[in-house]
Amino acid sequence: MSRWRYFFKRLVLMVPVLFLVMTLIFVALRMGPLDPVAAILGPEGTGGDAQAIRESLGLDQPLWQQYVEFIIGLLTFNFGQSWVIQPGRTVTELVGIYGPRTLWLGFWSILLPLFVGIPLGFYAGLNPNSWGDYVASFGGIVWLAMPNFWLAIMLLAVLRQTAGGAGPLGFDWYTFGPNVESLIGTPPLDFLGTTWGSLGPLPIPTGFDPDLGELLVAIKVILPPALVLGSASMAAELRIGRTAFLETINSNYVETARAKGLSGRVIVWKHVFRNALIPLVPIITNEAILLIGGSVIVETIFGINGLGALFFNAAVQADLPLAGALIFIFTIITIGLNIVQDLLYTILDPRVGYDQQ
Amino acid sequence: MSYDYDDDRTLRERIEANPRPALVWLAGLAVLLALELGRVARAIVYIGSLTRGFLGGAAGVPGTVADNVAGSLGGAAGIVGAAITALLLLAVAAVLIKWLFVPVSLVNRLGLDTGEGRDEIIERGLITVALAVVAALVVFTPVGAALEAAIGWLTDALESAGTIQTLTQRDTIPNQGYRTPGGGWEGTFLGLSPAVAWAIRVFVIYAYSFVVAAWLWKGYEVFREHYREADWTPRDDSINRFRTHYWGIFGLAMVFAFVVMAIFAPSLGPVTAEANLYSPYEYEFQYLEGGELQTVTQGDANLASRSQGGSDNVGPLSYDQYDRWHPAGTNQDGKDLFTFLMYGARTSLVIGLTSIGLATAIASALSMITAYYKGLVDVLTVVASDTIISIPAFLLILLLNVLFAEADHPIMDIYNGGFLLALILAGVYWPGLWRSIRGPSLQVASEEWVDAAKSYGQSPGMTMRKHMSPYILTYIMIYASLMLGAVIIVTAALSFLGLGISPPTPEWGRAVSEGRQYISGSSWHISTIPGIMIVFVVTGFNALGDGIRDAIDPESEAGDASADAAATGGGA
Repeated sequence: MSRWRYFFKRLVLMVPVLFLVMTLIFVALRMGPLDPVAAILGPEGTGGDAQAIRESLGLDQPLWQQYVEFIIGLLTFNFGQSWVIQPGRTVTELVGIYGPRTLWLGFWSILLPLFVGIPLGFYAGLNPNSWGDYVASFGGIVWLAMPNFWLAIMLLAVLRQTAGGAGPLGFDWYTFGPNVESLIGTPPLDFLGTTWGSLGPLPIPTGFDPDLGELLVAIKVILPPALVLGSASMAAELRIGRTAFLETINSNYVETARAKGLSGRVIVWKHVFRNALIPLVPIITNEAILLIGGSVIVETIFGINGLGALFFNAAVQADLPLAGALIFIFTIITIGLNIVQDLLYTILDPRVGYDQQ
Repeated sequence: MSYDYDDDRTLRERIEANPRPALVWLAGLAVLLALELGRVARAIVYIGSLTRGFLGGAAGVPGTVADNVAGSLGGAAGIVGAAITALLLLAVAAVLIKWLFVPVSLVNRLGLDTGEGRDEIIERGLITVALAVVAALVVFTPVGAALEAAIGWLTDALESAGTIQTLTQRDTIPNQGYRTPGGGWEGTFLGLSPAVAWAIRVFVIYAYSFVVAAWLWKGYEVFREHYREADWTPRDDSINRFRTHYWGIFGLAMVFAFVVMAIFAPSLGPVTAEANLYSPYEYEFQYLEGGELQTVTQGDANLASRSQGGSDNVGPLSYDQYDRWHPAGTNQDGKDLFTFLMYGARTSLVIGLTSIGLATAIASALSMITAYYKGLVDVLTVVASDTIISIPAFLLILLLNVLFAEADHPIMDIYNGGFLLALILAGVYWPGLWRSIRGPSLQVASEEWVDAAKSYGQSPGMTMRKHMSPYILTYIMIYASLMLGAVIIVTAALSFLGLGISPPTPEWGRAVSEGRQYISGSSWHISTIPGIMIVFVVTGFNALGDGIRDAIDPESEAGDASADAAATGGGA
């Protein structure tokens, strides 16, 4: 099978997967154990109210009709309105408000591990079986085993201890760089100073007035949660990076390059580094998928009003349309990332499709 | 490396030919079990009552069907429905019994050989008929009453055996006592201080468990040396590789420590969970105050031994003001944290084993079926597993859990929501397991020996069980071990968020959550210690998985993306 055929086969398979996901959400929310009306009114809802809500939500229609409407709603990104958390606001509106904060968090929690995990992994691979390698590898394994929720509150406790210069060498996280009042909270994201115009229904930026101070605050506030959220990926990148580096450096073409008389520096940077990056591609995309699940916990603990926290509140308060729509959006992102991963693989590694079925 | 092709004696005949090593080993095992006779008897009674409840439930099904059908279709149809249901239940039971207990082929014994793969069906039919006869005897004749009497007598005997004191029981080495005015201790083991008595008991429990584990291993070695058909099998090499894999052994040790914690939770804590965690106001104890003995309930004492930062603190390895020993300090309610942690280990292990056991069963069955038949089954499984994998696992688990909890579904009552959580986890994690063993199963399905079995006329089910499953099961162990770590993290994360296992059943994540606000002060231990335990246990499972992988397949890659993603529990 050619690699492009393999890629397109995967692409086509995504269609039934998408439909099954939507069906699954429908079954869980409409036919599941929880009655949507009871979720809105609570168990004490009276008969008349319940009937009115049932009609207004279209729950008195036959199930297949509800299903068709539900699917069409999801496919046209018309998710309906929130029931409990912010009644009357559409889900799209809420995503527009909460989404950027999660994106900002996700951006940094992918970036941080990239610049810590991969160099450490390559360092360990460059000096295999040295003390530095052992420390890095063992640290990576323990780091991987740490639950994010525990790591988050530990990190918060440590940073809180540094208040008033109590940290080592008088370090104080609160006054380090830009001042912050609190460790937790939503980062200010208006540092671009964007003014918005509109082009039909789409908002478009019309002007920028960047504010460097605001940007630094935004980065500083996001760093601890990003460190926690990226912790698992950091460890994974370290392990895979080390293995990939070792495998590449022991391969025949590196041997050839060495026999040719190339200097160690050229071999490492030109022949080893680039090829060792290939196995890291799925790690980085997988990492983005992990971030979605992890954002629930990290945003809840760090008090960031992002999509993860929104999902958690929606789920706990039984705001079913909101929770269902968010999980659908997250699934679309996951599927998209998987396609990107397959695409990158197809381009980068000619062996895919022959080896891996 | 020899194999005697003419030697086809069974294991029993081999043991009869050379009984000495087997008898020595059995005698050792009997001594070890005798030390714990009471506990073993209690376990048997417990399992017996569970089985009885299950059988009773199953026996009620035909009656329920009869009522329902009779309600809509009339009495005769009800009886037919009940009969059909009963027959179906018996057939399912027959499959299980054949698989577990009937080693010989009845078809061959009775000379009913028809060939063409119909043997198995006839075989199961025969067992079903036998079961139906037995069931009819029990239900409609006095045999049932006699059986009932026999079971009652056996239960009584076991229950009285259950009261025998065992080596690892709390009462053997008691640590709860009070200070005497003279300066010594009353009521503790040999009058030692509670701390020392507790430490001795923990040591004895771990020593006993280690000896049992070592003796079981010895049993395998005796079997291998004296009674196994082949001198050498590929598995011996794997085991030898594992023996020198120190990282894997470290993992095994961690997992062993964790499992012992879960099994011996009631004995390991300085108090029992019943007395200190669940109903503290129903249990009293004595302590010395101002030279006089006072009596106080556990609950009242807990109020005064709370750890809430500042001066209200009972830290790790310390006594509270009632001279109660707290190896890991107390929590914010004054309850003993160590006892909480031991029972929490039990919760984690039960949920982990149930969910991963189920997921492993689904994944290995599907992997064999898809690898054997390929085609449409394969595509359907790919689509189903891709569907579940593309929904972020943690969010899906959270949402499903909330749906059942909000609706007050009766399933939430089983094990305080633990059973539901295990089912959800199994449903969410089987696709990952299936995917990780897909490569090996496709590989084994194309091996010559599978082809040979096919052309030999062996039924597909038999081929999968006998020729494919041994290979696949060793592989699935790697990922099951990694996933167990993930399940522990996810369970803890859910209870950290206030979902999953509801109070009062102890769960590590809840302790982390409850201690959060005191973490910067003197009561740092409430959140810190459970977190460290999670890290150790999860590292242990990961290391064990690494060790098994290197032992099975030394040339495999040191890590792959799906395994690492699994080990982190979906970002929790």
